[in-house]
Amino acid sequence: MARFLLTRLGLAAITLFLLSVLVFVGANLLPGNVARRKLGNLADQAAVDQLNHQLGTDKPILVQYWNWITGLLHGDLGTSLSYNLSVNQLIGPALTHSIKLAAFAFVMVVPLAIVGGVVAALNRDRLTDRIITVGGLSLAVVPEFVTGIMLILIFGLWLNLFPVSANAPDGSDILAQLKYLFLPALTLVIVLFGYISRITRAGTIEALDADYTRTAVLKGLPRRTVVRRHVLRNSLLPTIAVVATQTGYLIGGLVVIETLFNYPGMGRLIFTAANGKDFPLLASSVLIVGIIFLVATLLADLAYSFLNPRIRFAAAE
Amino acid sequence: MDDTQRRVDAIRTERSELENHIIDEYAAGKITRREFVRRGTVVGMSIPLVSFLAAACGGGGESGTEATSGGTATGAAQPGGNIRVALIQPSTEPNPLIVKDEGGAGLLGSTGEFLSFSNAKLELEPRIAESWEPNEDGTEWTFKIRQGVTFHSGATLTANDVKTTFESLVDPKNASNALSALGGVLSPGNTEAPDDATVVFHLDAPNGNFPTLVSSANYNAIIIPADLDPADWGKTFDGTGPFKLESFTPKVGAKFVRYDSYWGEKANPDGFELKFYDEEGPMIVAFQGDEVDFVEHFSVSGGQALLSDPNVQVIAVGASTHRQLHMRTDKDPFTDKRVRQAIALSLDRNAMVDGLWDGKADLGNDSPFAPAYPSTDTSVPQREQNIDQAKQLLSDAGMADGFTVELQTWNGFEIPDLAQLVKQYASEIGVTVNVKIVGDDTAYYGDAVFGKSIWLDSVMGITDYGHRPVPNVFLSSVYTSKGTWNAAHFKNSQADDLIAQYIAALDLDSQRAAAKQIQELLLDETPVVIPYFYNFLSAAKPNLQGAVSAATGQFDLSKAGYTS
Repeated sequence: MARFLLTRLGLAAITLFLLSVLVFVGANLLPGNVARRKLGNLADQAAVDQLNHQLGTDKPILVQYWNWITGLLHGDLGTSLSYNLSVNQLIGPALTHSIKLAAFAFVMVVPLAIVGGVVAALNRDRLTDRIITVGGLSLAVVPEFVTGIMLILIFGLWLNLFPVSANAPDGSDILAQLKYLFLPALTLVIVLFGYISRITRAGTIEALDADYTRTAVLKGLPRRTVVRRHVLRNSLLPTIAVVATQTGYLIGGLVVIETLFNYPGMGRLIFTAANGKDFPLLASSVLIVGIIFLVATLLADLAYSFLNPRIRFAAAE
Repeated sequence: MDDTQRRVDAIRTERSELENHIIDEYAAGKITRREFVRRGTVVGMSIPLVSFLAAACGGGGESGTEATSGGTATGAAQPGGNIRVALIQPSTEPNPLIVKDEGGAGLLGSTGEFLSFSNAKLELEPRIAESWEPNEDGTEWTFKIRQGVTFHSGATLTANDVKTTFESLVDPKNASNALSALGGVLSPGNTEAPDDATVVFHLDAPNGNFPTLVSSANYNAIIIPADLDPADWGKTFDGTGPFKLESFTPKVGAKFVRYDSYWGEKANPDGFELKFYDEEGPMIVAFQGDEVDFVEHFSVSGGQALLSDPNVQVIAVGASTHRQLHMRTDKDPFTDKRVRQAIALSLDRNAMVDGLWDGKADLGNDSPFAPAYPSTDTSVPQREQNIDQAKQLLSDAGMADGFTVELQTWNGFEIPDLAQLVKQYASEIGVTVNVKIVGDDTAYYGDAVFGKSIWLDSVMGITDYGHRPVPNVFLSSVYTSKGTWNAAHFKNSQADDLIAQYIAALDLDSQRAAAKQIQELLLDETPVVIPYFYNFLSAAKPNLQGAVSAATGQFDLSKAGYTS
């Protein structure tokens, strides 16, 4: 198991290094000029050149990369070019917001989608199955901004049940915060339910058709026991992988939902950083989302190996 | 001689030649009461004084109708309360030197104060400056600085703070955004503070509109303490306004509370809260969902829900915000002015105003003289769509079969729609316009210098221009031979002379005389088409009173309050 873990950690480190290079190169390939962005379209070229020099953005790309990466290794995420603030000061609150929304959405969608997928599989080709699979997929293909706007109109403006913005006022208690987060989280539930439940359904059907399930049934075990002990344990493997891969999206990819609900999360932060060519903020934000994604997939791998001894033993060999 | 006349005479003996000239113009009926108030305040007369003279001297009546009062209804506002304001996300740190957008302007003006406030009628209301006056030829302006004004940090404001603020704004090393208005007008080292209550500006050339250039219309020009680095201003928001900072969270919003040591009338509300929005849509929804009470700015296309709601107070401020369709006068096919005129004549401006702006815009007449400017000469005929004349002009220019040209612009606001309309109208006279949207504004503006900018190098392009309370910057930067924003590459010595005359003119008569000639010249030469000037729109809840909006993105909530 330790070797398995070390292998995964090593791969994660390599991935992070490659990600840092990609982020750096990508950010530098963005059109525009850092100082021009900051000073405006009509600023004097001499002033633009001077600011680029002051910020170090006129140095060779390798020098800039080295300065950035060594800063990172010393825990210095740099200073935002747009806001003249430490990147930590901007990422901290945004990350907290994103984690809150992602956690709330996960808490709602994961159990719901697993139950939905299992119920659909147990009722394969029946009406219940059709409703869950077709309904879930239909909702999933609707763009998230459409879903979000519909929810805002219905629950925010017409029924006046929930706030139309997601950011609760300062000092709000946990219940008030959940109330503010409900509509964006529900949007995510609608987006993700069809996908996760379909994967769960497929895994469950595969497990139901497996020899070990048939053996368990022939042994005379009650159906509920068969499902709990033999089917679910195996059917959840692909579901875990899918849920883990959604982490990056939920933490750093919710630009549309965060904008729609005026929620100051990582998605908006990354988007505005890219738009403003705020390189230190952009690179550090993407890297942090990358780290979270890698941690999530690592945890998924561990859960996978725990549930499926074949993987664990294969890795140990 | 009655008492009133005696008082008027007494006042006039103390006023400058220029101020007396304006009073004469008004008494003779040459300018309206509104113009008298505006011009009077620009040259340094206080509003009470101007109001007294307006009543005492009779003079011209009102011409036309007020586009707006620039604010919500006034009256029975309750004291106290906390007003929630939706503001577009500032794109930079709150540094007075580099703020360059409405969101940032709103932040600066929340605690900062200017020498004067340019209101929706383009009148100057004295703030940190009590009064101001020019020398004889307008090359020197002297401002009397209000005494007893304190910064929120506790320090007393003096003329040295004003001097240091402006020296910092005009220093080329700082690349201040304020240079777009003050560049070529006020040079470094030319601002002096002979005593604690006086600031004298020595200008590069005569300028009759200088007080406007150092007012809130130049939103970077908030007065900050002399010993405060502008880059650090965002840590404290130290200003002298009626509200002071309570908290600021970048990318989220800011809270302000009443400043009890304010030199003037204390703010009516307890405070206000700014909420930042990246997009207009969520801002409108937040307003409809009762999460904000005041939307600082919205567009016609994005704010239909507000415009059609009778329970929303819409504030429409006449402004000079516009789009310019430039045609390179030094490159084919636009070297012949008849071709440029033909393009201008092909456009149906009324349809554009209705279709793109729901009527919330004024017709443009291919010069930067917006109807909102008092100096605009309204006797110059409005250019209308005339397809036959346009075809004839093309034929006379040897282009009866039309031509093909590329129109470049960027993807923002209604600009892509405008580009498509130009294409459609041009096709009616046989001209094929290939629209090329180059991406965002960065791609279009490039390095903003000739040779490195699609904006300045394209044969035909559409450029967005923000509101300016006086047309000086438009004129000197876009239409002079050496203009740094002269995308049409228009070089005309007559235009150069007339623009210099306009900028130097100290009284409205002289300004309007020069304006008429400039308007006629530009209409004839047509280096640029300006199809419309659109209104600046704000929205307020029906129970919010006394909120004031100005087209520069400034707002004043010091007298605002709720009726219930």
